[in-house]
Amino acid sequence: MITLATPAADTQALTGLSAAQTALEIKKLDLYYAEKQALYDVSMKIPKGKVTAFIGPSGCGKSTLLRCINRMNDLVDSCRVEGRIELQGINIYDKSVDVASLRRRIGMVFQSPNPFPKSIYENVIYGLRLQGIKDRRTLDEAAENSLRAAALWNEVKDRLHDNAFGLSGGQQQRLVIARAIAIGPEVLLLDEPTSALDPISTLTIEELISELKKKFTVVIVTHNMQQAARVSDQTAFMYMGKLIEYSDTNTLFTTPLQKQTEDYITGRYG
Amino acid sequence: MHADLANTLQADKKRVIKDKLVKYSISSGGALVLLTLLLIFAYLLYVVSPIFAPVTIEAKKEFAYSNDADVLALGLDEQNEITYQVTADGKLFFYSLRDNDLGDLLLSETISSSYTAFAKASASAGAYLFADQHGRVKIFQPTFSTSYPDDLRLITPEISYPFGSAWMQIDALEQKITSASFELAEQSAAVAVVTADGRGIYYLLTASENIISDQLLWEKQAVVLPSLPHRVDQMLLSPDLNNLFVRSGNNLLVYDVSDIADIRVKSAVTINAVDADVTDMQLLTGASSLMVANDNGVISQWFEVLQDNKRTFTFIRDFKAPDNVTAITPEYFRKGFLTTDSQGYLSLFHTTGGTRLLTTKLSDNGTFLAAASPRADAVLIADNSRLRLFAVDNDHPEITWSALWQKVWYEGYPQAQYIWQSTSASDDFEAKMSLVPISFGTIKAAFYAMLFAVPIAVSAAVYTAYFMSPAIRSYIKPTVEIMEALPTVILGFLAGLWLAPLIESHLPGIILLLFSLPLSILATAFICSILPRNIQDSLSGGYHPLILIPVLLLAGYLSMRCSGTLELWLFDGDTRMFLTNELGIDYDQRNSLVVGIAMGFAVIPTIFSIAEDAVFTVPKSLTMGSLALGATPWQTLTKVVILTASPGIFSAVMMGAGRAVGETMIVLMATGNTPIMDWNIFEGMRTLSANIAVEMPESEVGSSHYRILFLAAFVLFIFTFFFNTVAEFVRQRLREKYSRL
Repeated sequence: MITLATPAADTQALTGLSAAQTALEIKKLDLYYAEKQALYDVSMKIPKGKVTAFIGPSGCGKSTLLRCINRMNDLVDSCRVEGRIELQGINIYDKSVDVASLRRRIGMVFQSPNPFPKSIYENVIYGLRLQGIKDRRTLDEAAENSLRAAALWNEVKDRLHDNAFGLSGGQQQRLVIARAIAIGPEVLLLDEPTSALDPISTLTIEELISELKKKFTVVIVTHNMQQAARVSDQTAFMYMGKLIEYSDTNTLFTTPLQKQTEDYITGRYG
Repeated sequence: MHADLANTLQADKKRVIKDKLVKYSISSGGALVLLTLLLIFAYLLYVVSPIFAPVTIEAKKEFAYSNDADVLALGLDEQNEITYQVTADGKLFFYSLRDNDLGDLLLSETISSSYTAFAKASASAGAYLFADQHGRVKIFQPTFSTSYPDDLRLITPEISYPFGSAWMQIDALEQKITSASFELAEQSAAVAVVTADGRGIYYLLTASENIISDQLLWEKQAVVLPSLPHRVDQMLLSPDLNNLFVRSGNNLLVYDVSDIADIRVKSAVTINAVDADVTDMQLLTGASSLMVANDNGVISQWFEVLQDNKRTFTFIRDFKAPDNVTAITPEYFRKGFLTTDSQGYLSLFHTTGGTRLLTTKLSDNGTFLAAASPRADAVLIADNSRLRLFAVDNDHPEITWSALWQKVWYEGYPQAQYIWQSTSASDDFEAKMSLVPISFGTIKAAFYAMLFAVPIAVSAAVYTAYFMSPAIRSYIKPTVEIMEALPTVILGFLAGLWLAPLIESHLPGIILLLFSLPLSILATAFICSILPRNIQDSLSGGYHPLILIPVLLLAGYLSMRCSGTLELWLFDGDTRMFLTNELGIDYDQRNSLVVGIAMGFAVIPTIFSIAEDAVFTVPKSLTMGSLALGATPWQTLTKVVILTASPGIFSAVMMGAGRAVGETMIVLMATGNTPIMDWNIFEGMRTLSANIAVEMPESEVGSSHYRILFLAAFVLFIFTFFFNTVAEFVRQRLREKYSRL
């Protein structure tokens, strides 16, 4: 029998974050797919300039929660969200919020690399072109900076105008990250970014994540507990749509407060 | 254990056999499909190829004839079994050309022992005339009667005298006749002579039938030709008895003799080629074209052309024989002719094709006499007391590359043109078989159909695949695809009998629709966007069509209702008349607009179905990726989805074009089938496919017309082959570029 944790216990390290340190605050979020509830009363603060990992078994709602943050769940017709997610104090589910501009501030990288059928260069500046930026120099600069930030520049600088499909899976994933950071988001959401990659590419991406947190707030969903332990500063463990435990990564992996957390990280289920 | 292993192996063997069986049956199925295609191709080529086969001539028979006087004229029966000669001593001889009695004299008769002039009628009339020094003429006709004793065909030669075997007095003054010409027509005949004292006499015989005895009574009239030149080298009468051509050296006088009470000179032209003198002139069958031979080998074609409301005798084109042409012999029923020249060469020509078909040296001692057989399958030569028969294989002289694809100046037309007119009521009609107008018609029909279908089908496909709610999509897609199964004959029938008259009577309304429909769509969209948010939300999920459809129906209805009023206000109450009179745009009831709409309907399902699949199969990850970068749905659509789906959309459009090009029933029923070349949307066209469907039943197997229709099929095949190949090629290239599937 799983007992629910008391909020005071699991979020002790993070409830005290000041507004300035908080990138995002999730307040009492419930989410339904048609009649089926997928998230139950999730509340948490995501600190600025840190890597926050969501872990949990398949179907626990960690990806759903991530998609709530940039409202990708809006694309699912039957999806309904209650509660608030605040970005700098503004509820992103407010009617006055323009979803397209929201997503410009909260970028996202998906499970498998999804470059567009365009050149490497065009992929990187896609988001800038959407905003109507035409100046060649601005675009070139942004492309170079983003590719450097995504640790891809040296590998592709000689073939920027080749088709992006010519890149390897790991390179494509870094290209997608470059594309996401080119538009200068505040928060970067990574949805199991290495699950489709080989171990070496995975390592490169993980190193990249540690670099990225210097500029961006990173939220990563991962299946891989070792990965969460390696890259994240805070970890949230979710189970069956509920946030079970949320604290800094060390604490969570070494001295979990909740029994489910312990069961999960020691590999009893998942 | 051992047995188990054996069983397993046996089972494997069965699997291997099945595997092979399936492999071979599938491969042979594919090979059969390819083979069938190749067979169709090969059969089309087999039927078409004789058109382009070179003309051949082959010596068949030869014998020495007994008469020693010069030969004036030569002829043959239709079966090439009997030949006749008119000789300079005024006799007519018939010889056999049959294998068993080759060269036997069958019949001979002296027509006139003393004559002063000799004349031939046109080849198909096959009559000859002798004139004497008392101003009289005798007309005779070598004829052949066919009988079947013992069920075998027997052709017997006869000599007939259409106006009796006695001399017929032409010149009342009984002067010697120095030159003559004559022609036999139905129920009438005419003789033109020049007498020794320089008078020209036109003598017309008109027949009237005695009701009781069925006998022909000939009414005779004679008139003196005005302004006859002093020297007359040659006279020719046209078989319709309308024109008399009088050549004096290099000058030609054309008399209008259609009204005997008013004979006058219509035109006077100089007809020789540059630096040459005229040696002979002959009328081609049908009598429109005059062929003029020169002593430098140039043969020029002349006919009357309507220019500035006046018929003028005009030079059309010329041909080149190797040397001084001594005589022109027209073929019996075609616009072809042969020439003999002083070097002993025989040349074959055809005017429509515009080419010299063949030149061959047949005689060593220069000038000789030649005659074409009635069926144009043989040439007879009299040369040095020998008669020689040559078989000629020249079935399709009128079809050349230039006649098919270039402008040709047809008889009676004001200039060279592209024309398709394969048959007419008359036998001596010049077939006009340019494939350009019907190829043009094919492209025009496909163009207007695509103009209508592509925007609708592609937008519908994008909307259905990208915006529509899955629930509605699951109804819409199969419904549109079922439309493809609609027999096109029904669409053609509706287009021709319902849509065409509707458009004709509501033209302003139809034009108004072009504006009212898009505008009403935009207006509806605008109104939706300013509605309160909660109403908008209840509409989302792809239910917009439910609002739009009534709006479109209303806009359509109002446009059609306004049609009559608009017509009264703007177009003086009759749009068709207004278009024709004020704007100079011709209007046919069955026009490209009707075809565009009807055939557009036929190709919309094809394009829609393939394009919809292409858009729908764009990976969701790409759409999500774009949206996650802050793109609006519209930006995602235009910058990622359509780009990724472009190979599929392109091949959908090309498949539609291929179908529009090959479509038959709709264009057959809704175009009017007029083979004109004009992009005007209010005029019809004739397409390759409709042309084949219309004319194949009436074409004689093996004729040029028949083979041209197969050639049209071949061209159609090339068209669709071209469209499909381009579609496939571009699709492959785009797929390499834009798709990772």
